[in-house]
Amino acid sequence: MTVILFKDTKKNMETLKKKAPCKYAVDAEISADITDAYITTDKKFFTYRLRLTGTQEFKPSDEIILKNKNEMKTVLLVDSSQLIDPMPLSQFRKKGKKIQEFADFDIVELPTIKIEEKPAYRDTLPQDVRDVLEIASKKKMGIPVSIAEKLVKYRKDLSPEKFEELIDRIGDDLKKKSIDPHEAVGIIAAQSIGEPGTQMTMRTFHFAGVREMNVTLGLPRLIEIVDARRIPSTPSMTVYLKPEFEENEEVVMKVVKELENTTILDVASIITDIQQMTLAIKPEPSRMKERLVNTQDLIDALAKMKGITIMNQDDSEIILKPQQESYKRLYQVQENLKTTTIKGIQGIKRAIARIDPPTKKWILYTQGSNLREVLEVDEVDANRTYTNDIIEISTVLGVEAARNAIFNEALRTLSEQGLEVDKRHLMLVADMMTFGGSVRAVGRQGISGRKSSVLARAAFEITTKHLLRAGLLGEVDPLTGVAENIIVGQPITLGTGAVNLVYRPSGKSQ
Amino acid sequence: MTGGISKRIYKIQFALLSPEEIRKMSQVKVITADTYDDDGYPIERGLMDLHMGVIEPGLKCATCGGKVDECPGHFGHIELAMPVVHIGFIKELKTLLDATCKACGKIKLTDDEIRSYREKFDQLSLSTSDPEIIGLMSKKVTDEASQRMVCPHCGTQQTKIILDKPTTFREEGIKVTPKEIRERMERIPDDHLVFFGLNSEVARPEWMVLTVLPVPPINVRPSITLETGERSEDDLTHKLVDIIRISQRLRESRDNGSPQLIIEDLWDLLQFHVTTYFDNQTAGIPPARHRSGRALKTLVQRLKGKEGRFRSNLSGKRVNFSARTVISPEPFLSINEVGVPEKAARELTVPVTVNVFNVESIREFVKRGPEPRDEFGKYLAGVNYIIRPDGRRIKLTAQNAEENSKRIEPGWVVERQLTEGDIVLFNRQPSLHRMSMMGHTVRILDGQTFRFNLAVCTPYNADFDGDEMNLHIIQKEEARAEARIIMKVQEQIMSPRFGGPIIGGIHDHITSLFLLTHNNPLIPEDETVHILSYLDIESMPEPVIQDGKKFYAGRDIFSLILPKGLNLQFTSKLCTGAKEKCEYENDPADKLVYIVDGKMLHGTIDEAAIGSFSGEIIDKIFRKYGPAETARFIDRMTRLAVGFISVRGFSTGISDYDIPESAISRIAEISAQAIDRATKLIETYRQGQLQPAPGRSVEDTLEIEILSTTGMVRDESGKIASAYLGLNNPSVIMARSGARAKMLNISEVAGMVGQQSVRGGRLNRGYYGRTLPHFKVNDIGALARGFVQSSYKEGLNPLEYFMHSIGGREGLVDIAVRTSRSGYMQRRLINAFEDLKVDDDLRVQDTIGAVIQFKYGEDGVDPTRSDRGETVDVDYNAFDLEQEAEQ
Repeated sequence: MTVILFKDTKKNMETLKKKAPCKYAVDAEISADITDAYITTDKKFFTYRLRLTGTQEFKPSDEIILKNKNEMKTVLLVDSSQLIDPMPLSQFRKKGKKIQEFADFDIVELPTIKIEEKPAYRDTLPQDVRDVLEIASKKKMGIPVSIAEKLVKYRKDLSPEKFEELIDRIGDDLKKKSIDPHEAVGIIAAQSIGEPGTQMTMRTFHFAGVREMNVTLGLPRLIEIVDARRIPSTPSMTVYLKPEFEENEEVVMKVVKELENTTILDVASIITDIQQMTLAIKPEPSRMKERLVNTQDLIDALAKMKGITIMNQDDSEIILKPQQESYKRLYQVQENLKTTTIKGIQGIKRAIARIDPPTKKWILYTQGSNLREVLEVDEVDANRTYTNDIIEISTVLGVEAARNAIFNEALRTLSEQGLEVDKRHLMLVADMMTFGGSVRAVGRQGISGRKSSVLARAAFEITTKHLLRAGLLGEVDPLTGVAENIIVGQPITLGTGAVNLVYRPSGKSQ
Repeated sequence: MTGGISKRIYKIQFALLSPEEIRKMSQVKVITADTYDDDGYPIERGLMDLHMGVIEPGLKCATCGGKVDECPGHFGHIELAMPVVHIGFIKELKTLLDATCKACGKIKLTDDEIRSYREKFDQLSLSTSDPEIIGLMSKKVTDEASQRMVCPHCGTQQTKIILDKPTTFREEGIKVTPKEIRERMERIPDDHLVFFGLNSEVARPEWMVLTVLPVPPINVRPSITLETGERSEDDLTHKLVDIIRISQRLRESRDNGSPQLIIEDLWDLLQFHVTTYFDNQTAGIPPARHRSGRALKTLVQRLKGKEGRFRSNLSGKRVNFSARTVISPEPFLSINEVGVPEKAARELTVPVTVNVFNVESIREFVKRGPEPRDEFGKYLAGVNYIIRPDGRRIKLTAQNAEENSKRIEPGWVVERQLTEGDIVLFNRQPSLHRMSMMGHTVRILDGQTFRFNLAVCTPYNADFDGDEMNLHIIQKEEARAEARIIMKVQEQIMSPRFGGPIIGGIHDHITSLFLLTHNNPLIPEDETVHILSYLDIESMPEPVIQDGKKFYAGRDIFSLILPKGLNLQFTSKLCTGAKEKCEYENDPADKLVYIVDGKMLHGTIDEAAIGSFSGEIIDKIFRKYGPAETARFIDRMTRLAVGFISVRGFSTGISDYDIPESAISRIAEISAQAIDRATKLIETYRQGQLQPAPGRSVEDTLEIEILSTTGMVRDESGKIASAYLGLNNPSVIMARSGARAKMLNISEVAGMVGQQSVRGGRLNRGYYGRTLPHFKVNDIGALARGFVQSSYKEGLNPLEYFMHSIGGREGLVDIAVRTSRSGYMQRRLINAFEDLKVDDDLRVQDTIGAVIQFKYGEDGVDPTRSDRGETVDVDYNAFDLEQEAEQ
């Protein structure tokens, strides 16, 4: 679907919206078959959408809204204008590739997304599993799918009577295993995660999968997870390619090159000649090779820079000069050059491709993380690509994904240390950290700071602040939690304290 | 003490105290800065006025007439000569001053804005109770109001107010006195307070400027009498003395018409004293000090921090009826029992309420006095105190026992000494999980220590190198019932952390049963009878006759303690990873431990069968037969193990690590090769020909290469050494059965200690460019960087010993850092999660009813009861079903 993109002012958009249907003059020639136009006010996000009924050649008239003052070429017949959720530039494509930059006007494609109704989860299961589930539900047992899958095998092996017996046994077992109402599951989860903490290593660095990559593990990582740190101490990504590229080394290397953020200083040395007022960039072949960069890439990157002229270039040296001749400029250019990226995605310090021996497929590991942009790379399989930055997952993929990330990261951290902790505890931690719609840390800025009880907050940390504020607000402590009831000296409301036994002497009126 | 209707506090409302309220609740207006007169009697209207409560026995409270323990204490008050600001509300005062008009007191917003914001606040207060969100909203509004320089209501030109920390406000360089602030605050209308996050029902802004100061009851600030008879006052009293003194001087100066300068100085001084009275750690104010130079502990310091009121006295309390002593092991006790020394038992009591049914037996009890013994001199429980219905306690002595026994009537309470069978709570700190405090039944034993079964070491994480533990006697029937049903050791066998047993055999239990069952040895009849005499077995197993003598097979003996009907099949630790046939077993069938109908047919019992954390047999017995049967199994298992290993004997010594000369020289050879290889690597590196690994510097690559070389040689030497150390070696038995140590430790003793490391790399710190002055500068060879060639048995040379100590210290530091870090993490976790509970529909809720999970753990299964995390173990159920059908 071909659409056009514009930049315009907010004021113009407001008038368009008020007057639609109306005529709108723009400074480009547009064919009549386009039906949609998207308009941005900041060149990054498109917030308005116009529905067009056709185009006309431009003739000055009073009723036409002008995009700007001069050189109008086409008049668009606007049917309606609407405010939409901001769409990023990357949603649009130009000749099959996503567009990186946007001028004032562009004709691009908007890939249409087909939304298919997903079959119910149960219907995706194999028939035999569904049969087992059917048998179980007839017995009014709700068994998990994983159990049903295991039972399939026995259904084949055992006689129907025996199988029946087995199912009954499992039903009984399930009933016995159910959690007791009012159980203090939170405390149990906290203890189950906290207790093995003393057995974990403090060693921050360890090799995870790849020898070349460092990843925080053990107790520091666990603390990092529950703290919901903005940036983990060792952000890293595991990037999978789409199945068709996974065994293609050429594509893999291309992607590595595309991901890895390389600055000029990474592959070359910069020499400043104060006498000549020139800067010489000397590429180092070994480092260029390691980073998969060639001189042309370097020159391309330099060409994008403003305020410099390339004086001379060959394979061993590139000499350039600031356009303004002053020492201040020279210094500025030199500083700018140091951090100029030749290629790659911001934040990805290193990317390394490794073959996964059993499957012979390539997997990319990165140091540094930038999920949003890595997912934009065409060859990357967005379904499997993973980062250990929980907050980033939360902002890019949403809070449910962050919940799973917390769960997976905590589980991995613990099992890597050889510590067995039930998944249910980690699920509870992940759910508690995310149920409010955003990732909240375990601690005074997060969950504990948001408790409803004044006394519980005061007992945890920053006692006086909470008490003083409670006075001003006239806060009421309903005494429903554990800490506050212990403070006032009455039974807590969990476990056996949650139920009351009332004796009604017989004989009295009911 | 007696039951009845139990009341619950429904809620607690917080508020600010108004001056009127302070005066109303005050029993006395304190005007004298002195405390006691020359006779030591409290001065009237002084800081120790009897109206505020009593701390001395014999005196009566002038307000309520109560004696020391009866009077709860009463407040007094001080009328301050001039108002001062409350240090806790400085920030709020600043926003209030900024956002309101100096003339009319209204918030500097137009009427329209006020209307629209009020609507927003109304909505907000309906939708959330979170003070944080309301705080953010009010910050936005007040910021907007503060920007306005002309009052929209009265048109007065505003001036900027600067807070000169900590307590002074300035307006265009001129000080705004607290009096002036208070006047401005008074002008703010009630209905504008919402915008500041103030609740007009409980707080008026002018109350943040103090004119009256409440004086806390004397119980809160008791004075102590030193041995010399000297009185020492509490820090708060000291501070209050200062406040009264300055306040009086200020009043006099003001009334005398002293110069403004003097008045202002005194006023500032009063402000200082009141500020430090509240918080003696205010930034920008030097803390008020005691004569000795120690900073005073004033109100905020009393509440704050780990030793503060909240964490130290309110969230955790000291208790009576508890004991603490050293622990020691006692294999003949059940896991459910704890041995209590007689001395402790005599002090610890259980209250028994006398009723018509037990009055006679209690009288007998009381008659025995406080230290009864039976005819053999054995301990009998006595009575320490008798409590009359009016609450008076009578101390029972041998003399008054007879007489008191007659006075006892229903309704009295008798404090009976601890007796066998009482349920008590037993605890070891740090209490990291719920198994750190479990219910035990009491056994009175000789000696001075608490004793328990060795299988219970694991949940408490206890050993006997001087550990101490605590014992708590339960005082209420309800709690006793809960302890028996929920907290008893047998109920805690399964860990909620991973759904497996946390209680099981340790160390020698595992070794012993390994020896008993590995290759099914034959035990002579006399020894068997001796061992089995420790157990209460019903009948002997089938004997094996050899050379006319009766023998019993080891597995048959072990089968005696297995419950009937138990079917089980699993791989032993010894054979983990074995394919067709296990290399350590003669019979291929022994790869699996095979138990049918409570009879062990194949395999070897080791850590995987009966160990804590992993014990498969314990796990399955618990699931099939429940806690009581499992406790019985563990009791008998530990007794059998201890019995057998005592008869058989088991020991290890330095000669167990002897390996042939050839092996020793082989190890020396490979270690020399490794050093060579390292040297060559370094040479290549020095020549600049080392190829760096991708993404690594050359230096890093070299380090990694050397590390892997030295690592490899350690493994290699271990392999060589263990080739000569077979399953007849005691240390290998311990390592392979999982009783103690790993094979790695054995290879360190017999083979080579290997590379020492700090932070995952080779040792590199110490002197400039070298670890020790024995090496050349910049020598990065294997030996210079902590490679230990010797074995422990051989002994380390001084250089190696030094390197080894460096590595060892890292471990110690690591432990110290880790315990504090993980302790804090756990505290935060507990605090964040303590309120969560499962409701009747298996949902997880917090206190305000927010649903965290719709079905606990997605399947509603208790992790404690789960099969190591699995919802149900289908395979075992099918296996068990099949086995049962065959029988």
